[in-house]
Amino acid sequence: MASRTVAKDIITLRGSAAIVSEFFGYAANSILYNRGVYPEESFAKVKKYGLPMLLTQDEGVKSFITNLTAQLSEWLEAGKLQRVVMVIMSKATKAVLERWNFSIETDSDVVEKGVSREKSDREIMREIQAIMRQIASSITYLPCLDEPCVFDVLAYTDTDVPVPFTWIESDPKLIANPQMVKLHSFDTKIHKVDTLVSYKNDEWDEQ
Amino acid sequence: MDPETEFLSSKRQTGNEWELFKENVRPLKRGRNVDLLNHALKARTNDQLKKSLLENRRRLIEAIDEYQGDDPLQPWLDCIKWVQEAFPPGGDFSGLVLIYEQCVRAFWHSDHYKDDLRYLKVWLEYAEHCSDAEVIYCFLDANDIGKTHSAYYIAYALHMESKSKMKAANDILNLGISSNAQPIEKLRDAYKKFLARSMRRPNATEEELKEDDLPVRSFGTVLARGESQRQAIKTFELGRNKLKQDQVHRTPLSIYNDTNMDVTRGHHSKPNTGSNSWHTLGGRAERNKENNAMPAKWTSHKIPQRPVPRIVGAVASAQIEVFVDEECEEKPKVHDEKDRTSSLQLRELDGRNIKKETELLRENPLRNFPSNSLPR
Repeated sequence: MASRTVAKDIITLRGSAAIVSEFFGYAANSILYNRGVYPEESFAKVKKYGLPMLLTQDEGVKSFITNLTAQLSEWLEAGKLQRVVMVIMSKATKAVLERWNFSIETDSDVVEKGVSREKSDREIMREIQAIMRQIASSITYLPCLDEPCVFDVLAYTDTDVPVPFTWIESDPKLIANPQMVKLHSFDTKIHKVDTLVSYKNDEWDEQ
Repeated sequence: MDPETEFLSSKRQTGNEWELFKENVRPLKRGRNVDLLNHALKARTNDQLKKSLLENRRRLIEAIDEYQGDDPLQPWLDCIKWVQEAFPPGGDFSGLVLIYEQCVRAFWHSDHYKDDLRYLKVWLEYAEHCSDAEVIYCFLDANDIGKTHSAYYIAYALHMESKSKMKAANDILNLGISSNAQPIEKLRDAYKKFLARSMRRPNATEEELKEDDLPVRSFGTVLARGESQRQAIKTFELGRNKLKQDQVHRTPLSIYNDTNMDVTRGHHSKPNTGSNSWHTLGGRAERNKENNAMPAKWTSHKIPQRPVPRIVGAVASAQIEVFVDEECEEKPKVHDEKDRTSSLQLRELDGRNIKKETELLRENPLRNFPSNSLPR
């Protein structure tokens, strides 16, 4: 029986941190676009992960996300990042409407001993692609956000991590009694990222 | 532990039916429960689940009849929400439009619900399914329903805007603001957006351009044009793409009639014998024969009539048509004529009647209402 060997690529801690933080940047942009947080005209199309991905052209948002991913990359390399959550809130009331929760499991062996792992880059890209498709399709079940919204990003790190200059300690901004949907995950063999979206329960009955 | 952490650590997975069958799911403004959605999608191919769905519906309809408390709207809402979840595609066979209509008609005269936001929302959802909802908004206006809520003014104004009646839309929003409808911020915000859109319009009478202003993504997020649910094709294209509005569901398409076409009636003569028909295209009449042939009786094939269980009784105007699958058809229930003010009767019908009734309601949403309630 013929077997097919998939060419595997070497993944280093630094490389994996780059993949994950880059993923987060694109995912954040995709969420902002698909959920209508910013007007569609403010996005430009690029090719990434074999998909047309939208990136914001708004300078403020752009630099926010760039600084964010740089910081995440640093934490990922140190193996100290546990979770990143993108929170979407009503601009008027600051009520939390939606949370996009990316939780990260790090292979501590790699962090401590500096070894590397092997996995096909292509396969990682396919896994990420599946998540991006799901993010775009989530309008199937997400409630309509018919008011102006703002977003924020929360990072959960190990307790021994000092709070960087541009970040502040925050409350978790949870949704009470949320509906939750687990999306696909991806794994670089060094960092495994699970995606969960939670949103407010149906409010038809509220006066 | 917060619910999200708990979910993640439990290693639970969410079914992926929602993604596999996303084209068959109509987004709801209030969002959907994914577990119910996945269940409903599985039920399409699973008879056991289908039976349980029908059972559920029966139970919910009974609950409406049997409700004793002081909020009779609630069981209606439970039923409506359930039908929305159980029939993800919505559509003419779900009976959703019928239930909306029954519900609004049951309470239109009730003072108790005049300012109830939930009741207003049922009206607004009903309006979204009609080909011309203006008659509904006029009705609400004439009967003072929902006028303390911003949602009423916003929906009404959007509808007028979709008909290019900008002045009317403007007046409606202003009226809402001056009436201090709640939440007022939402109304003010909607007005600002409306003004921005009307600035962009180069010509109020140009229907086409108006569509270009609508963002491609408004597939349940930013809703304009009467807040209609659009079966828009999810595309990442930039620029101004026209939204393919689900025309079938709202205004019937007007079919172009080319009166100059050479319409050949009756049977067509056979093509020239002897010549190989693939080498000649044939005359125009022959090419178009599928479009020109007059419909004739099907004399060669007989379709067996399906016996339709019917309760022959008083055909009260307030009746719920229940869609029953062939596999699940039961003997007709005979209800004794209880003396009820809302006189609800279950009538088992097949899908065709639900579709017919739905179409009639779309065209004339207030057709079952007593004439003295209609706006002049």
